[in-house]
Amino acid sequence: MKHLLLLGCLIAGLLIPGSVSAQKFLKKLKEKVENKVEQAVEKKTGTASENTSGVNNTSNTNSTTGTSGKPSNKAGGGLTNTEPPDVNIQITEAETAHNAKNYSDARFSLQQALMGIEIQLGRQILKSLPAEVAQVPVDTTQDKVMSTQWGWNNLSIQRVYRKDDKQLTITIGNNAAYAGVVNMYYANAGMIEASNDKQNFKQVRVKGNKAIIQYDDNKGYTLMVQLGQTSLIVWEGINFSTEQEMMSAANSFDVDGIKKLLGEQ
Amino acid sequence: MNKSIILIAILFITNACIAQDFSTNISTAKSSYKAGDLENAHFALQKAMQELDMIIGREVLKLLPAKMDSLTANTGNDNVSSNVGFVGATVNRSYGKFDKKAELSIISNSPMVAMLNSLFNSPLLAGMNNDPNTKTIKVQGYKARLERKNSNVDGKFNYEVQVPLGSALITFSLDETNDTEITTMMNTIPLSQIAKLIQ
Repeated sequence: MKHLLLLGCLIAGLLIPGSVSAQKFLKKLKEKVENKVEQAVEKKTGTASENTSGVNNTSNTNSTTGTSGKPSNKAGGGLTNTEPPDVNIQITEAETAHNAKNYSDARFSLQQALMGIEIQLGRQILKSLPAEVAQVPVDTTQDKVMSTQWGWNNLSIQRVYRKDDKQLTITIGNNAAYAGVVNMYYANAGMIEASNDKQNFKQVRVKGNKAIIQYDDNKGYTLMVQLGQTSLIVWEGINFSTEQEMMSAANSFDVDGIKKLLGEQ
Repeated sequence: MNKSIILIAILFITNACIAQDFSTNISTAKSSYKAGDLENAHFALQKAMQELDMIIGREVLKLLPAKMDSLTANTGNDNVSSNVGFVGATVNRSYGKFDKKAELSIISNSPMVAMLNSLFNSPLLAGMNNDPNTKTIKVQGYKARLERKNSNVDGKFNYEVQVPLGSALITFSLDETNDTEITTMMNTIPLSQIAKLIQ
């Protein structure tokens, strides 16, 4: 009896896969016949099948043109970095133009000389900044020194420290307009020290300099220090765990050195 | 006659002093830069630039007419100021006295004006600005904006013409007038020569 049962199971095991493979075979055969018929029809009518041509066209479009039909740029090595204006040459040119009463050119040369000095000064300040802050290393590829032709007023220096999702950005700027905005906050101390349940804005000191620290859930910590008459340092810390951690990161910078380089008292 | 001689002498002495200051500041800038004192070099160059703006302003004043129609220039009130920063250098001259006066103001090398000019010149803004008291005109080939303003005197109007030139702006206003008279007066100002100096 046991033998009979085993034999029955074996036969059933052999027959079931057999029926499945037979179905697959029939399906494949059906597809092949359909394809052959389609190809035969295409040969006679001379039209291509929609599926294949559609795929080919899309891939061609993507490789050469954008969605608006414009070709997408695949070549070009960007702009070459040019050296900042040579200060000595620009000063000499300004003198020559001034002596020749060509005042417009003299002014242009002076502007170039000022820009040259500002960029050099920005680079000096970048050099003076630490290579690591709160165990977060510097990302030198993001170092920036920006100078506009409008004199001292728009010199901005930026450095980014980054490790995983933790980032500290320091921006040193020289602009009377926004330095004044910080002063405005100091003048309204009573207003900003409002006693809320959670205080997100308060006055602190960074190495003896008056500062303002702000916290925002989306932006993290922002710390601003006014330097002298027209300069300002802003630190922006993302994913710093506490206010103390942010403050100690800011305190690891040589604020007085930066102040001295910018000529602030 | 004596007053004119004194005025010319004062102008000459002032110009000579400014020229001397320019050279002194340039020398300071050079020596500070050589010594690696970038901040001091920068400060000296800025001062040199301010002096240059003053010289340019005085040169512009020399180009302006001594008389516009019946209005005589009030040269005693001439003013040149330099401000290396957002506002730029300014030159002011007024013409006439009492009931009819004209004012000419030139702001140069000003980032603020550069921004305003880009707005003035934008076609979108021009289309939106359908003010019946404002129209665009041409003065000596330069595009300008003519504006009519209400006067204190009934039935009379004050007019103003603004000529934007890159980062510079020339503004000429005239009391109790009409668009023909202000355009005629504006045409006596050598705009192309001024543009060469201030641009």
